[in-house]
Amino acid sequence: MKEKMKEETLISKYKWFWAWQDDKEEAWLTQMSQEGLHLKSLGFPGFYFFTPGEPANYVYRLDFVTDNKDYQNYLQLFKDAGWEHLGRMGGWQYFRTLAGEGELPEIYSDPYSKVQKYRRLLIYLTIFLPIMIVVVSRVHEAPSFYVGVQAVYAVLLGVYIFAVVKLIGRIRTLRHV
Amino acid sequence: MELPGNLVKYLPLTETTAYILLALNEPLHGYAIMQKVETMSEGTVKVGAGTMYGALSTLEKEGLIVKVDEQERRKLYTLTAKGRQIVQAHIHRSAILVRNGQGL
Repeated sequence: MKEKMKEETLISKYKWFWAWQDDKEEAWLTQMSQEGLHLKSLGFPGFYFFTPGEPANYVYRLDFVTDNKDYQNYLQLFKDAGWEHLGRMGGWQYFRTLAGEGELPEIYSDPYSKVQKYRRLLIYLTIFLPIMIVVVSRVHEAPSFYVGVQAVYAVLLGVYIFAVVKLIGRIRTLRHV
Repeated sequence: MELPGNLVKYLPLTETTAYILLALNEPLHGYAIMQKVETMSEGTVKVGAGTMYGALSTLEKEGLIVKVDEQERRKLYTLTAKGRQIVQAHIHRSAILVRNGQGL
């Protein structure tokens, strides 16, 4: 984790989370706020900008939406419900609210609707499926000095399959709640 | 309370969906529905913002509710005849369930 001052007030941090680690990312952001670093905005994937301040009991929640025609109505509903929108990273939407006494605030109140979130993410990932298929079908045609390229392809494909499997697993777990 | 065959697939509704439909007996926007559901259910059902947004899109797509107005980026929805029929059938089923549970 690199840390450096950007201007006077913003602290940037780099931390990588995979698509299936959204709850870990929420927990990390919550922990950062408890240490006095409050998410301000998002940069390139993995880059977070924080405003230093007093520790606060913020709860962070990530949603995933790709449908943009309703985006302003979507943000308004979250705002009305007390969620502050901090930014987006692709389809990922970053929200936070102050945690009160008792139950933690949630953006999904039942497992059924949370399944829909992961289903949208899975559908989004199928965009990359044709690319992956082309990559696999062409690997044997690549000249042998492109072994490095092949290795990169193999890693990408591995991550892709792992992400799909993880997300399907997440959906199954939620269904059995 | 017989429901036409093509509407039977919607039953039973989830508790959240049933409450959202009941709340939309009058035109309301998303957050107003969340508040009304919490009051109506005496605090037993709370609808998260993400759940609410997803439910509204799905219910509108399925024709159970319809957008009647938009005020400051807030869409107001109300029940359609189809939605009313479905929620009535659901309430009928639930009443039978409640009757069966009373002697418990």
